Amino acid sequence: MEDIISTTDQILTTDGLPLKVSLRKTERKNKIRAFLLVFPLLLFIIVTFVVPIGDMLLRSVDDSQINNVYAKTFEEYNKWDSENDELPPEAVYEAIFNDIHYGDKVQVGKALTRMNYSKSGWKSLIKKTRRAIKKIVKSGELPTSYKETMISIHEGWGDRLFWVSMKQMVNEKTVIYYWNAIDRTYDIDGNVIMQDEKRRMYIKTWIRTFKVSVYVTFFCLLLGFPVAHLLANLPLRYSNLLMIFVLLPFWTSLLVRTTAWIVMLQQKGVINGVLVWLGIINDDQRIQMVYNMTGTIIAMTQILLPFMILPLYSVMKVIPKSHMRAAQNLGAKPVRAFIRVYLPQTVPGMSAGGLLVFVLAIGYFITPELVGGKDGQLIGHWIAYHLKTTLNWGLCAAIGSILLAIMLVLYWLYNKIVGIDNIKLG
Amino acid sequence: MLRGWHIRHKDLQIIVNLKRRKLMSKFFKAFLLAFLAFPFAANAVTVASWGGAYTESQIKAYVDTYSDPSAIQFENYNGGLGEVRAQVESGNVTWDVVDVLPDQAITGCDEGLFEDISDLYDDFTPAPDGTGMIEDMANNGVTNLSDCCAPQIFWTYVVFYDPDAFPGDKPSRIADFFDTTKFPGKRGVHTWANGFIQMALVADGVAPNAVYTVLKNQTGAVDRAFGVMDKIKADIVHWSAGAKPLELVKSGEVVMSIAYNGRVGAANLAEGENFEYIWEGQLIEQEYICLMTGAPDRDRAIDWMIHASSPTSQAEQAKYITYGPMRASGIPIIEAGEPWGPNGQAIMPHMPNTPERLKISVMGDPEWWSDNGAEIDERYAAWMGN
Repeated sequence: MEDIISTTDQILTTDGLPLKVSLRKTERKNKIRAFLLVFPLLLFIIVTFVVPIGDMLLRSVDDSQINNVYAKTFEEYNKWDSENDELPPEAVYEAIFNDIHYGDKVQVGKALTRMNYSKSGWKSLIKKTRRAIKKIVKSGELPTSYKETMISIHEGWGDRLFWVSMKQMVNEKTVIYYWNAIDRTYDIDGNVIMQDEKRRMYIKTWIRTFKVSVYVTFFCLLLGFPVAHLLANLPLRYSNLLMIFVLLPFWTSLLVRTTAWIVMLQQKGVINGVLVWLGIINDDQRIQMVYNMTGTIIAMTQILLPFMILPLYSVMKVIPKSHMRAAQNLGAKPVRAFIRVYLPQTVPGMSAGGLLVFVLAIGYFITPELVGGKDGQLIGHWIAYHLKTTLNWGLCAAIGSILLAIMLVLYWLYNKIVGIDNIKLG
Repeated sequence: MLRGWHIRHKDLQIIVNLKRRKLMSKFFKAFLLAFLAFPFAANAVTVASWGGAYTESQIKAYVDTYSDPSAIQFENYNGGLGEVRAQVESGNVTWDVVDVLPDQAITGCDEGLFEDISDLYDDFTPAPDGTGMIEDMANNGVTNLSDCCAPQIFWTYVVFYDPDAFPGDKPSRIADFFDTTKFPGKRGVHTWANGFIQMALVADGVAPNAVYTVLKNQTGAVDRAFGVMDKIKADIVHWSAGAKPLELVKSGEVVMSIAYNGRVGAANLAEGENFEYIWEGQLIEQEYICLMTGAPDRDRAIDWMIHASSPTSQAEQAKYITYGPMRASGIPIIEAGEPWGPNGQAIMPHMPNTPERLKISVMGDPEWWSDNGAEIDERYAAWMGN
């Protein structure tokens, strides 16, 4: 063996280099060239995909901003014997007095947004206190009892509930946003408890999001399967026309389609009008089909239908017609032949379509926003709400991360049950 | 023959290819240039605002009348501080001025997203009688100006209806909105809480000017409001886009609806509708223009803000949209100039903040709302979905 290698080592190229070295050189060159070719794409993926998702995951557990602002306060706060003392000791009051006054105005302001989410009222409490402290420090007479002074500035400082809510902020790396995203919070000992009953709506919204996505996927499959089958089996001139019927709405603006559904579904709308005209329902029994979950499901099903039809079609197109004939030839009745021979071959299309529709549905925003009304809004609504209105980006990131995790779990499940090689998009 | 043609064809192809390549490179260069030039092309003050009829009225009233109209350009955004914070945090600030809701004016100022311009308030145009801007606003009941912003308009959540829908008695008080036995039919309400809960309290007998005092000081005030809202819960159609309530009322889907007053005014003035307002209990909200921290064209932006918040400019805006000037001295200018509308229509009947209407209106308290809004909105969502 060694002999052979050593002899091959001796082989030289025309440049006088050993063959192996020369080969390695060209190979490295090729590798670099290949890498440079894909590099722009790699960079693109990193910039548009890896970095934002990484940033989102980081934000969902990051509470360092507030921990920098109230470093001393939190240090003292953690020493507070909350079981025996109703309110924190003097040292905590002194620390927060100083942190509020000497902290950078913008940093204190930023922390407000975050504090207010743990308990309503922090914002005005801190702002009022900051103004009062400014005057006290200016007067030169520092308080003898910080505790009493602060409570006299604002009674909120004597309210144990504010101090309890601080428990949610004291960790630099925190999972509180994840708990908030499922209606939970911390009590004074850091135990996870349910959020105030009246405020609980995230779990409900999560369940609703799931329910709507499952319904939409199911209805898309139900409606899309026959259409895709027709598309794949009709003579070309008919199927082309049908294809245009599928694609035309697909190319139409989302807003137009959503608004069209409102016109169709509302109580004084087309469908109700026809039903009343036919005498099926009375004029005062008009059905509420929009501005609720029904409207969301109907509109989303129509909008997402092409995402089911197209993968199904591409799969059905290549199933040889002879298979069904062969099955029937061998004695299977049409239904049996369909179930045993045709249907299994469409699974890659069904699963691709199903996964596509479900993924799109679970994060859907604009259609539920417009037709959702009272109980048709999905979790995307709350991401937008906290992103824009409350600026609670930690919670946004946590909700987003949970969505991502759900998708990964589904993908994993799918791979276990159906097998990811079995997916076919076109 | 064939061979000759073949050669010529080949030559032709080369020529075409060359031309195409030239064209491509030209196209590419132009594209690159446009791409590179884009950030520098914005050699003007960029104002981000809500778009639609509102921004049109701003352009007519504040840009066309400005000393250098070409120096101001408007850009649409969807509200909220999300984009503002993203710009400031990334250090890539492209907007100079943003048109925001009052609680966001406060939050944005707290967070340092907007620049503190309170030292410059003395430079802002006083009222015709010499009253300074801050006092002029206070005369309109506004005391909570954030330190980073200049006043724009009042807009309100107001109940309106089509009188044809009520052949007999017509609703006239906010309590009628919550009374489906007296006035049967569906009600249009938005999908968030602000505006609705204040109306519920007024309907329950709270004096309009005491609503926020009650909310602040009485425990259970929010519960009380939700209790009143429960009465019409089954009859509510929830909308989320500002144009929807008009469609709802017009099509007869609902008999009354809460809407932005400017939308109702536009329908009445420009589209010949005959909608009636229930001014009692309307929630007056403020609209501000705020200076972005790190605004690229800061000095000119401030100069324009001064122009856009003068009483005459604000009265001018009312010509094009029925939102009320936040400067108290703007109203007399409109009154004196009636008919003030662009088509010779009187607009005072549609102004939300005449002195009489101010008395029966709830003046928004953005400070309280930015404290409690998130919690109430979450509760409202839970209430809606139950």
